[in-house]
Amino acid sequence: MTADERNALIGHRFVGGTYRIAHWESWLLTDCTGSDPLPDDLVHPIALFHAPILGSGTSITELFALVGARGAGSVGLLGYDWEYLQPLREEIDYRCEGHVADVQRATGTDGRLQDTITFRFELFDQLDRPVAIVTNRWLLRR
Amino acid sequence: MVVAAMNADVEVGSEIPEWTMGSVDPARMKTMAAILRDPYPVHWDRVGNEKIGFGLRVINQGPLNVGYIANMLMGWAGPESVRRLTLSFARPVLDGDRVSARGRVSAIDERDGVAIVVCDVWLERDGERVVTGTAEVDGTRLIATMDRTKDDV
Repeated sequence: MTADERNALIGHRFVGGTYRIAHWESWLLTDCTGSDPLPDDLVHPIALFHAPILGSGTSITELFALVGARGAGSVGLLGYDWEYLQPLREEIDYRCEGHVADVQRATGTDGRLQDTITFRFELFDQLDRPVAIVTNRWLLRR
Repeated sequence: MVVAAMNADVEVGSEIPEWTMGSVDPARMKTMAAILRDPYPVHWDRVGNEKIGFGLRVINQGPLNVGYIANMLMGWAGPESVRRLTLSFARPVLDGDRVSARGRVSAIDERDGVAIVVCDVWLERDGERVVTGTAEVDGTRLIATMDRTKDDV
């Protein structure tokens, strides 16, 4: 990926859309963490990983393709910054939007080129009030 | 859900009751991969992982590692308490690992009339911190408990 291609990625916006976390999905998601089901239709906080991605009209597959990931071992997770402005609840349509916030190239300690890609997503409720702000950082080994 | 009703005080330096996953389960990773629509084979392909240096073990999804920390926070401060998670991933967690989420209060702020408890949090495996960062939780239930404790005294 050239410098021009990296620069062109910054600001790339996903099509946007909505995401509804069904009860069954919420239940399984919570169970995967080893927790008992949550009360009052609450959705486990880790839904902030996949709900914004899918709700923004993209997918992990498309994100990896967009940034030129080359298979197992080439992608690493650096970190998340997830801000919850309201608790997430089941069976609500959340409007989602997202974009590529940053791309930074560096040389790793192993001498290989690597790019740090930052994605940012926002969720809104049915009254268009902000629900969450999500920043995810990935490392792509070139 | 266990809340800190028995905590005498929540103050800077207070430790959060830890939450432990006794053995990270590869079956849960498969379910998680389906929920996330995550095509990355490191979460289920043991043979493939051997080729990239992980032995015949699969790698837990980052969100699940975060989930253990969230479980600790919700068990302590209540199921609606999590306001912010800022986390970095230092080492992969593999199936069969025993990991514990731990944390400590680093500050107590007030925002819009709500007590926000800021915590250093981490996920630990054999004494090594594999995920580290900070969390902010709504401290209403914790601080109310503290106030009530004071009133009782």
